[in-house]
Amino acid sequence: MSQEAVISARGLTMGFGDLILMESLNFDIHSGEIFVILGGSGCGKSTLLKHLVGLYKPMAGKITIAGMVLDPDNDDSFKRILSRIGVMYQGGALFSSMTLGENVALPITEYSNLKGAAVEELVSLKLRQVGLEGFEHHLPEELSGGMKKRAAIARALALNPEILFLDEPSAGLDPISSAELDTLILRLNRTLGTTFVVVTHELSSIFTIAERVIMLDKETKSIIADGDPHELKNASDHPYVRQFFNRQPEMER
Amino acid sequence: MSDSASMTTTPPITIEHTPGQLSLTLSGVLDLRTTPEVLDQLAHIHKPLPKLIRADLSAITGMDDCGALVIFQLRRMAEKHGCELELAGTPAHVRDLLAFLRVDDPPRSAGAKRPRPGIMTRFGMKTIQVWDQSGRHVSFVGEVTVTLLSLLRHPGRLRLGDTVLYMQRVGVDALPIVGLISFLLGLIMAFMSAVQLQQFGANIYVASLVALAMVRELGPIMTAILVAGRSGSAFAAEIGTMKVSEEVDALVTMGFRPAMFLVAPKIIASVLVVPLLAMYSNIFAIAGGLLIGVTTLDLTVNAYMAQTMSTLTIFDINWGLFKSAIFAVLISTVGCFKGYQVRGGAASVGKATTSAVVTGIFLVILVDSILAVILRYWRP
Ligand SMILES: Nc1ncnc2c1ncn2[C@@H]1O[C@H](COP(=O)(O)OP(=O)(O)OP(=O)(O)O)[C@@H](O)[C@H]1O
Ligand SMILES: [Mg+2]
Repeated sequence: MSQEAVISARGLTMGFGDLILMESLNFDIHSGEIFVILGGSGCGKSTLLKHLVGLYKPMAGKITIAGMVLDPDNDDSFKRILSRIGVMYQGGALFSSMTLGENVALPITEYSNLKGAAVEELVSLKLRQVGLEGFEHHLPEELSGGMKKRAAIARALALNPEILFLDEPSAGLDPISSAELDTLILRLNRTLGTTFVVVTHELSSIFTIAERVIMLDKETKSIIADGDPHELKNASDHPYVRQFFNRQPEMER
Repeated sequence: MSDSASMTTTPPITIEHTPGQLSLTLSGVLDLRTTPEVLDQLAHIHKPLPKLIRADLSAITGMDDCGALVIFQLRRMAEKHGCELELAGTPAHVRDLLAFLRVDDPPRSAGAKRPRPGIMTRFGMKTIQVWDQSGRHVSFVGEVTVTLLSLLRHPGRLRLGDTVLYMQRVGVDALPIVGLISFLLGLIMAFMSAVQLQQFGANIYVASLVALAMVRELGPIMTAILVAGRSGSAFAAEIGTMKVSEEVDALVTMGFRPAMFLVAPKIIASVLVVPLLAMYSNIFAIAGGLLIGVTTLDLTVNAYMAQTMSTLTIFDINWGLFKSAIFAVLISTVGCFKGYQVRGGAASVGKATTSAVVTGIFLVILVDSILAVILRYWRP
C-alpha cells in the first residue's frame, strides 16, 4: 500500500464565530487507509468532516486533497476534488422528494455514460450491497432511521469514489447490519483501494475496520491520540484514550 | 489506479464473430468509466447471435460493481437469443466480487413502481382527498375552537412571549410594505377616477371614492392579501418543517397540545394586529389620494380631508375592522392547518406553503363577497 498522503491538514483551526473548536491540527490520511475520527460528542468531528470536504472554511491552516489545495472558491480544482469524493452525512440527507432509487441514480446519470436499464441495474446492485434491495420505489419518509442511513451510504457509494467520508454510518443500525456494513467497507477498501474517513463511536466497528484513528479532545482543542486503535487501547499514555477504548466511565477525581 | 486504466486507449473488449460462436475478450479495468462503452458495444453486436457466447475474462485486472453489469448484460443476451453462455478464465477477484454481489440471485422485484394513475383514477383520488381533507379541516377547526374557548377560562395558558413575537412578525414587520402598497393604491385610484370625475367638475368626490373604497373594501383586502403572502406562508412553513423533523411529535409526547402551543399564539396575534394594519393601510391610501387631489385636482388639503370625513361613517370603519379580524382568523388558521398536513420532506413543505397562500386568499375573497351580500340586505 502506498504511503502517500491523499489528504493532509496543516495548522487547521476551525470553529464558528468566537467559538474555536480545534486549534492547529496536523494530520495526514494515506491513500487506501481506513481512517477513523474519534472524540466525545460535540467535540467537532462532524465539523472537521465538513471542513475536509470543503463545506466550511478553516479559520486558519490549509487542507490538501490528492495534491490539490482544497479551495471551494476555485471552481476548477474544487470540481476535480469533488469528483473523487463521496460523502454520507450524519442525518442521511436523502432528497425527500425522490425515491431511494432516484436518490442513488442521481449521481450515476449525471456523471457517467450509463443509460436506462443499466442505471437501474447498478442502482439495485448498490442497494443490494447495503441490504436495501427491493426498496427502489420507496420515498425516504417511508423508511426507518437505520434504513435511511444505509440508503445514504448507497448514494455515497454510487460512483465508487476514491475517498469516502462517512459520518456515523453505523449509528442506529442493529449489530448485524452494522457488521455487514463493516464488511462492505473493508471490501471496498481491499478491492478498490478506496480511502475511508469515518466518524464512529462503535468500538467493535473501530477495532474491525480502523487502521488508524485520531482522537479529538474538546478541552485541549487538539489531537490527543493518533495511531492503531489496538495499540492505543493499552499503550496510550493518555488516560482518556484508554478509558475510551476500554469503555470505562470517567474516573472520580 | 482507475486513472491509468482510463488512459489506455485499447477498448476493454474485443469481439470476434465466427460462425457458431461469439468470442468476447474482456481486459483491463471494468469500472464506471469503461463499462458504458462495453455495454454499448455489446448492444450493437450483429444479430442473430450464434449458439454459443464465450467470454474470456482472464485479462480483467480490476472490476467493481459497475463492471458486473457486463455480466448481467451477457446473461440477458444469452437468455433472450436462446444461446449458451460460457464464462472462461474468471479471475479469483472477479469470482469473489460476483459472489459478494450475489449475481446469481434473481434481482428481487423492486416492489410495485409508484403507479401513474389514469385520469379517472386521479379524478377519483382527488375527490376522495378533498372529502378526507374537509373532514380533517373540520376537526382541526374544532380543536382550535375548543382551545381558544378554553383560553377564555384560563388565559394564563396562552404563551404570551410567542404571541408578542408573532404580533411583531405579522404586524410590525409588515408596516413598510403595507404602507407603500396602500399609498400607491390610493394614488392610482385617485389618479384614475380623477380623469373621469373631472369631466363633470366633480373633483371633490375623488376624496369620497378613495376613502370609501379603501375603508370598506380594499384596505382590509389588500392587507389580508399581504398578510397571507407574508405570514400565512410563514406559519405553514414553520409548522410543516416542525412536522417533518418530528418536533410536533415531541410536543405531543411532552404533554403540550400543539393547538395551544403552536396555533393559538399565531391566531390571536393575527387577530390583534391585522385590523390595525388595515387601519394603517387606509391612512396611507388616503394620503396617496390626497397627494393627487392637491397636486393635480386643485383641491386644498382641508377640503379633501373634510370631504373624506363627511363621507366616512363610524359604521364603515368598524365594518372594515371587523372584516379584517375575520380575514386574520381565516389566514392564520389556514396557514397552520396546511402546515399540519405536511407529510414527508422538503417538497411537501413547499406545497403546503403555496397552498396556504392560495387557499388563504381565496377564502378571504369568498368571505368578503358573502359579507357584502349580507350587508346589502342588512342595511339596505
Ligand atoms: N453551524 C454551527 N454554528 C455554531 N456552532 C456549531 C455549528 N455546528 C456545530 N456547532 C458546534 O460545534 C461543536 C461541534 O459540533 P459537531 O457537530 O462537529 O460535533 P460532533 O463531534 O460531530 O458531535 P456528535 O458526536 O454528537 O455528532 C458543538 O459544540 C456545536 O455546538
Ligand atoms: Mg457529529
